[in-house]
Amino acid sequence: MNRPTLLLTSAALLVGLQGCARQTMYSWGDYDEALYAHYKNPQDRENFVASLDAVIRDATQRGEKVPPGCFAEYGYALMEEGRHDDAIAYFQRERDQWPESRVFMEKMIRNAEQKRAKTPSTPAKGPAGATRRS
Amino acid sequence: MSRHARISAAAAILALLSACATAPRKDYSKFVAAQPRAILIVPVVNKTVNVDAADYFLSTLPIPVAERGYYVFPVNLVKRLLEDDGLADAALVHGADPGRLCALFGADAALYVSIEKWEAKYLVVTTQVNVEFAYVLKDGKTGETIWTDHEAMTYQPDSGGGGIIGAMVAAAVTKASPNYMPLARQANWKALSFPGPGFPAGPYRPEFGKDLGADTRL
Repeated sequence: MNRPTLLLTSAALLVGLQGCARQTMYSWGDYDEALYAHYKNPQDRENFVASLDAVIRDATQRGEKVPPGCFAEYGYALMEEGRHDDAIAYFQRERDQWPESRVFMEKMIRNAEQKRAKTPSTPAKGPAGATRRS
Repeated sequence: MSRHARISAAAAILALLSACATAPRKDYSKFVAAQPRAILIVPVVNKTVNVDAADYFLSTLPIPVAERGYYVFPVNLVKRLLEDDGLADAALVHGADPGRLCALFGADAALYVSIEKWEAKYLVVTTQVNVEFAYVLKDGKTGETIWTDHEAMTYQPDSGGGGIIGAMVAAAVTKASPNYMPLARQANWKALSFPGPGFPAGPYRPEFGKDLGADTRL
């Protein structure tokens, strides 16, 4: 098989396989790539948090559902930064969009409230969802 | 070629052609009875010497499971909380009572994945990458196993034997640094595909409840 034929065949196979396997319901952006990069290099956390932010923004702008777990994962990132009010807002969004997450998210909300009570002087960094990276 | 051999060959070709449409099915009666909606993917157990594989592989799991129509708990957050609770070792999580684990998060079922192989063999002119995974889904109420699967995949560039998988990941593997991730992703999509060995459509898919037919054992 010569090279162009091989390429064409590969492309056709790819399209064929995607046709029956890959019709994604959600727009994941580079969520999995960024999580992988974060595990590969823990200093790469910023990138992972930014990708969660992007997934949430994209879905919200298009009026689509934010993929399961993304609000919660983003809320947890905010909690780690001491932004407890913002974290709670994202845990609530996860709970409201995905009723299956209620038990877990209510635990996370209580968790964040307790942490907030211990550190009352969290500096204000703008409302939830405010642009942190342009 | 005997008549029998010809029929076998034709059947094999047919099976290959329709691999994504009519793979043999397993018994889904326990899965259906459990009615899982929300799936907890717990940290991955690594049975290989490649220490980083578990976390890398964990990153490939939530998307294919969620795309089957189930709620998937945030894998990184779950992992971090389990670590905070003294369960940093995934083997401890896999050994814990599934009922209690699921109750902790409000999950209907827990997905346990083990890496059985994650290796690169450096051959003379090429690098062969092998991955092998075992998947087990347990009911959060009864603790019973309601689904299992096992996938093994190999990729060897320029061997001509990689077939479809080889073509799909050809660009991703280099001799200098083998990249396991495309193979790992491919294994997950295959494990979870339906019809195929995977999960029937979950509540967030339009074909939910319609893709199994009347009989759960086909």
